[in-house]
Amino acid sequence: MDLKAQQDGGNLLERLRDAGEVRMGFANEAPYGYVNREGVLTGEAPEVGKAIFRRLGVDKVVPALSDFGSLIPGLRAGLFDVIAAGMFITPARCEQILFSDPDYNAPEALLVRSGDAEKPLTLQDFAQRDDLRLGVLLGSVEVDVAAGYGVPPERVVTFATQAGGIDGLLAGRADGFLLTAISLRDGLSRRPGVPLELTEPFVPVIDGVEQYGAGGFGFRPDQTRLRDAFNAELHALKDSGDLLEIVRPFGFSEAEMTDLTADRLCRPAS
Amino acid sequence: MNFDWQTAWDSVPQLLQGLLIALQATALGYVLALVLGLAFALARRSHQAWLRLPVAFFVEFVRSTPLLVQLFFLFFVLPTVGLELSPMWTGAIGLGVHYATYTSEVYRSGIDGVPAGQWEAATALSLPRRRTWTRIILPQAIPRVVPALGNYAISMFKDTPQLTVITVAEMLSVVKALGSQNFQYLELITMAGLLYLVAALLIAWPVRIAERRYRKENA
Repeated sequence: MDLKAQQDGGNLLERLRDAGEVRMGFANEAPYGYVNREGVLTGEAPEVGKAIFRRLGVDKVVPALSDFGSLIPGLRAGLFDVIAAGMFITPARCEQILFSDPDYNAPEALLVRSGDAEKPLTLQDFAQRDDLRLGVLLGSVEVDVAAGYGVPPERVVTFATQAGGIDGLLAGRADGFLLTAISLRDGLSRRPGVPLELTEPFVPVIDGVEQYGAGGFGFRPDQTRLRDAFNAELHALKDSGDLLEIVRPFGFSEAEMTDLTADRLCRPAS
Repeated sequence: MNFDWQTAWDSVPQLLQGLLIALQATALGYVLALVLGLAFALARRSHQAWLRLPVAFFVEFVRSTPLLVQLFFLFFVLPTVGLELSPMWTGAIGLGVHYATYTSEVYRSGIDGVPAGQWEAATALSLPRRRTWTRIILPQAIPRVVPALGNYAISMFKDTPQLTVITVAEMLSVVKALGSQNFQYLELITMAGLLYLVAALLIAWPVRIAERRYRKENA
């Protein structure tokens, strides 16, 4: 099936309104999108998504759990209607799906051991010092960031999970863990008392181009009308300041608010 | 459905690198499983309780817990007590020790299959115990279990994707890394599946030959 064949922008919004429910794909990654202890889908993206779909006349959300790597294939295969996982908007992903404008921008940070004598503080430290190993998540954008900063691959350790990265840091398998400040802050808050600390958040710059980690909502490539309607409500939430209030409980702050557009983020860096 | 042959083909060199790493872990782990398994089997038949009982406990313990849990402990917990092995060695040891508990049972069945008369004859000739093992029992016990031992090599090879959790870049982690860039999982998984199949058949080949030879000799 060629999804691009449907040129009229699709009628998914009408179908969702009729059904009264929307299926939200998420990857169970706190604080972006996860099921809480009460068994309810929550997190930054699902809460923003719920608010916007309510404004669009769709009241009920049906959670659809997926592996992060399967979110895009799952959306394209029709397993759910929207990706609400705080997924970063990248040119490669834009070739596969449509994105709303970003609802947040997430600067990167390094998690390091507090007790280390010569604590690495920047990615340059990892590029220059042969005694340091940098932890990243398997298949994450941070793999490319590390390479872009000149950290040699043999000193990059790829962990399968976020918890694995933190455990690896504690076990001395890596000397730093590169991820968004939000994720790391959240990871730390779940393991109080561990001798780890966060460096100053930063936006990575590779070859003079800022590498924004800005996340938005994913839609099927043929559903431009739904995406546009979603965007309009998202901008309204931004303008009124309600957006920040919705995401604040999940560790987001003024620093994570952004005016970037999906258009800008989908453009390949030249 | 669109199957992008170009992507599938382009991924092969990187998948092969992952396959090589998986085969390396299998080879190291398998040698360990063969040696350690025999040691376990002999220890469990020992007359010394101080040797027999702890080994029996260890074998049952390892057999009753998932490989994934064992890998996790070897990788994340051992360094905190000052023992840090590389991811590859951690994986090889994890696989080797796990499978040694299975191969030890295979050896045991082989040893049990040696007729009691052979033991009695060795006793009648008052052969020393060590000599009885190395010259009488094991030369008869091991050939008959070679096919069963070989099957565990294939099984072990298929467990290598679990090494992803200890950061070993085996083939399925390559699939995940590439897939997160191009999202063409169908192509990647298909190619990885084919490579697993080819490699497993290559491992199975000598096993089948050994099996046939043993059957012919005992026909």
